[in-house]
Amino acid sequence: MTDAALHAHDAHGHGHLKLVYQPSLPINNGKLFLWLFLSTEIMFFAALIGEYIVLRFGAPSGTWPAPHDVHLAEWIGALNTGVLLFSSVTIVMALEAAKNNQTGPAKAWFLATFLLGSVFLGVKAYEYNAKFQHGIYPAKPHSLIHEKADIYYMQAARLRLEGLQRSYADAITAKELKVPGGGPPAPAAATADSATAAAQGAPGAAPAEGQPAAAENAAAKVGAFLEIDDLTEAQGKNDPDVKRYIVVTNLLNHLLKFSEQIAATDPDPIQRRAAMEFVATAIYPLHHGPGGHEQFVNVLASEQTRLLNEKDAIAKQAKEIESQKEEKLKTLDELEKAATQDEAAKTQLKVELNALDNELTSGSLRAEAIDGRIKIHEELEHAKEGLNEEHHWLRLPIKIPSGNMWASTYFLMTGFHAIHVLVGLIAFAVVLPKRLDATRANLIENIGLYWHFVDLVWIFLFPLLYLF
Amino acid sequence: MAHTAHDHGHGEEHHAPPGSGKYWAVFFGLVGLTVVSVTVGSSRALRENSPQVMWAAMMAVSCAKAMLVILFFMHLKWEANWKYVLTIPASIMSIFLLLMLIPDIGLRTRNYSEERWLYAAQPAAHHAEEKKETLHEKGVGGGGDEGKAFEHSS
Repeated sequence: MTDAALHAHDAHGHGHLKLVYQPSLPINNGKLFLWLFLSTEIMFFAALIGEYIVLRFGAPSGTWPAPHDVHLAEWIGALNTGVLLFSSVTIVMALEAAKNNQTGPAKAWFLATFLLGSVFLGVKAYEYNAKFQHGIYPAKPHSLIHEKADIYYMQAARLRLEGLQRSYADAITAKELKVPGGGPPAPAAATADSATAAAQGAPGAAPAEGQPAAAENAAAKVGAFLEIDDLTEAQGKNDPDVKRYIVVTNLLNHLLKFSEQIAATDPDPIQRRAAMEFVATAIYPLHHGPGGHEQFVNVLASEQTRLLNEKDAIAKQAKEIESQKEEKLKTLDELEKAATQDEAAKTQLKVELNALDNELTSGSLRAEAIDGRIKIHEELEHAKEGLNEEHHWLRLPIKIPSGNMWASTYFLMTGFHAIHVLVGLIAFAVVLPKRLDATRANLIENIGLYWHFVDLVWIFLFPLLYLF
Repeated sequence: MAHTAHDHGHGEEHHAPPGSGKYWAVFFGLVGLTVVSVTVGSSRALRENSPQVMWAAMMAVSCAKAMLVILFFMHLKWEANWKYVLTIPASIMSIFLLLMLIPDIGLRTRNYSEERWLYAAQPAAHHAEEKKETLHEKGVGGGGDEGKAFEHSS
């Protein structure tokens, strides 16, 4: 009504229109821009989150990694949620204080928001680091994730172990090259034949004339495999390279190659698959529920009884073969004594004896392999969280079904969110030195809107990533 | 300025945003809702028996939290009708986007070739039946070791 009166007054009184600026929306331009930006941001993050949901539920059934499989701790996520929620309150309080021209409290709340944002990013960095430590990266070549335990997995594990074995062997020989007379001086070795001492690993070869020979010997060993028994005697168990070399060699021979053989030769496809799964579980178990490790221990136990039975059978067979051998030797002896000219029968006997000897050797080799495997079983029983956790430097390939897709989406979503947090922190840092009074209330409100949006995104990310 | 405010009648200035007490109440509400979603998420029984209920509950809690933040912290409760212009189309687009991703990405394993399965994660044992059915539907059959493994494990 007053409007009409005003217009009427304009029209009749002065004869010209008085133009008044009327914004199309009852908010200032900064806020309008920010809300337009946020509406695009809604779509941006909805795309990321929507894609995650669709990828997750579309993954081969039952394969998406549980949070614990990829080292996500709920409490850390919950803590970060709390931090962000709290920072949302502090920024609102900063706005309220600024509106009331309370510059001191406004600045304090603003600073608190900045610090809380930094805490969030710090926790995020810690979490990322934990992922990287476990070989969980969004892409090759750093990622250790395999979708399943197949021949490619076994091959990757073998390549890694062989590479480690070679590098530790080289490191050990390099040490010998550098310090041929190194190690605690052994009084007996000082006068001993330096060449033999050097060949044994040279813990006290004669310093003067022994050096060239020792170096030569060590040089000859570069690239060659070292015998574990020699190492433990000569180098002592305290050298970390020696320790690691022994671990790697045992794993390669008794865990990997043993399983590889089953995977390659067992007629039963179930056993072939199980052999590869066994390696994957030993390296990176995916059972984090109660009784998960016990299950694996049960598998180990049943496997062990099977192996021990096999060993018994081998021993029994060996005894049988020995008696057969004796018999054959006796007949051969008799033949020799009788001085018969039946060369054909003798040759036949010798061939049979040879075959028996071969059987014996293969039996004892198999028994040796079984002994090694059983020793590895003990280690696996001890390594509750898997070999990669037991020896952090191993970094063997890990089996996480759908883990690659998980890593891609995880790093994409949390990464973009972290970038938004970072931008918010920069905005806080820019505004923080200023006087936060009522004239800057609009600025604080706009930054606050952006910050609340960052919080909003995390509200969805937290359950999706940590709890689903 | 007073003139324009009057012009637009029911502007945002009619209802002032609440005092700081309300913000703290909202904050504690949000923390409480977070506790609810953590509790739901760590319930083993729920996860094993009806994960769908768990997911739905957690998403409902998240939506409630989002609404609290939007309405109170972002002051949308006290804003004029322009808020709908900026938020509703964006939300509709988001939902459309999600729906449009489903046929090609959500249901991607339905069209996996036998060769593609070689490089995909093995479906978990208790889900194996599903995959076998899909394969038979397509007339491929669970050939080779894979198929046998499924038959055995299910």
